[in-house]
Amino acid sequence: MSNVAVKIINLVKKFGNVTAVNNLNLDIYEGEIFGLLGPNGSGKTTTLLIITTVYKPTSGDVEIYGYSVTRHGDIVRRLVGIAFQEPKALWVDNPYELLLWHAMVVGYSVIGARRVIRDIMEELDLWEHRGKFISELSGGTRKKVEIAKLFIQKPKIAIFDEPTAQLDVTTKHRVWDKIKALRDEGSTIIVATNDMLEAERLADRIAIIHKGTLKALGTPSELKDRIPGGDIIELRVDNRIPDGIVKSLIEAIEARKLDYSDGVIRAYVNRGEEKIAIAIDILSRNNIKVRSVSLKEPTLDDVFFYFTGARLEEGRIQ
Amino acid sequence: MIYPRIITIIAYRDLQRFWKYKWWLAGLVAMNLADLFIFALIFRGIVRRDIVPDYFYFLAPGIASISAFAAAFTIGREVMMELRRAFHHYLLSLPFSRLELVAGRVVSGIVRGFIYQIPFIILLIVIAKTPSFLDLLIVVSTTIMVTASMSSLSIAISTLVKSLEFQATIRSLVYFIIFFMSNVFYPESIVRLRFPEIIYIMVVNNPISIATTIYRDIFTPHVIHETYSIEVLIAKLAIWTAILVATGSILYMRNLQR
Repeated sequence: MSNVAVKIINLVKKFGNVTAVNNLNLDIYEGEIFGLLGPNGSGKTTTLLIITTVYKPTSGDVEIYGYSVTRHGDIVRRLVGIAFQEPKALWVDNPYELLLWHAMVVGYSVIGARRVIRDIMEELDLWEHRGKFISELSGGTRKKVEIAKLFIQKPKIAIFDEPTAQLDVTTKHRVWDKIKALRDEGSTIIVATNDMLEAERLADRIAIIHKGTLKALGTPSELKDRIPGGDIIELRVDNRIPDGIVKSLIEAIEARKLDYSDGVIRAYVNRGEEKIAIAIDILSRNNIKVRSVSLKEPTLDDVFFYFTGARLEEGRIQ
Repeated sequence: MIYPRIITIIAYRDLQRFWKYKWWLAGLVAMNLADLFIFALIFRGIVRRDIVPDYFYFLAPGIASISAFAAAFTIGREVMMELRRAFHHYLLSLPFSRLELVAGRVVSGIVRGFIYQIPFIILLIVIAKTPSFLDLLIVVSTTIMVTASMSSLSIAISTLVKSLEFQATIRSLVYFIIFFMSNVFYPESIVRLRFPEIIYIMVVNNPISIATTIYRDIFTPHVIHETYSIEVLIAKLAIWTAILVATGSILYMRNLQR
């Protein structure tokens, strides 16, 4: 197993009477892309702000490569970088000055900073906007300026808080590719998101957070498999299937439920991709011709619903 | 560990932003110069010469002092804007210590004060006298102390009061108290004569008054009637600076992080 890069230990954060993070425990491994999935107000951003030493925990701790955010803040800040959900800039700033300053803070010389900024700005189509006031830029362009900071910084732990919110589809894919490239260059990535597609495309492992507590943790496929009967195998067959074969089919593929009507079998199973072959084999051996097969996997939204009892959209409204 | 490079970079950002308001700054310098030339020249003929021998020369060092104070005080406005837009989250996440952050802000306040004050110091050299090297060192040290203490005070107010509206009011109030309860416009002897003792004590111990007396001592000593010791004044200003910088730094660091 890889080294633990970020260890969240019994983390609690309260703002007055409101508990934003409630006894959170997590290990994030070196070199992985870790997704924090949850609706707005679930405690994702608060957790990230504690990891980056912006907020102090009420109790518990977070360790970055063994360094505590409460006791070794200066060291932690040298290891961690964050692209905020809301771009951090004042209206009189312009993207070039902002990124140049950021590059100098994270250790570049002025000449080195100018070179790397130009490269990153051109890659993200920001170069033409370099001299404009931040207030003149669209929401998406501001967001690109924010995430550009991390591509310049390349920290050991790179945190993206909703990195592709407000971005168009093409740019989203480009940013996802760049985040993966950043991981390949040696960074551990934490992505907080309420975008299912983003979580599925990017994350090696996902933590589902709801109302400040950890509801589930695992790879996307592990989480989907935890939904009993979450995969649906749909088979269209020619012949009528005797009850005995239906029964043996249910047993063989460990179906939670099986519907059969009008030549269509719908079996609710786990790890559906493994069970398809078994189902076809049983039917073939009983001379039942299979005309078509499809597998529908649960979405992460289904996973979220299963673990929290709420849809992400509902959570957002709360 | 404090790294001068980081402090310089933090101060550079503040100054870069300060410079974006250069025309507003030029307007303020022009306004202060107009105050000096119109207000002081008019009062020169009105004020009793046995109390203030020459009001123009009396006011000029005070304006130099006020200019440094006013420029240094603007750093609090920046801090206020940063809090309003949660920009401080970004600053707190960056790879530098809290102490470097606050030192950078104070250094920026000092440089702002110098930038703004330079025209008035040049004016004093032109209309009054060229200081010796030692006197110039005293002028520079005084400006550093005034601007460091006033920028720290301004930062402390901006982080201490949560309501932005209330914060702006408090900042203006403190600004005007420091501005008017000083010896910039009136000699200390007159304040003592006309106001309760407590007001006099506040006026003579106001850092702006102390700096003004030091500038007067160097550029226009003939306008001062009161007795004073320059060493004591420098020591008093140093104590003020130490107290305000320490208070401002502690409050800034404590109040930024929730």
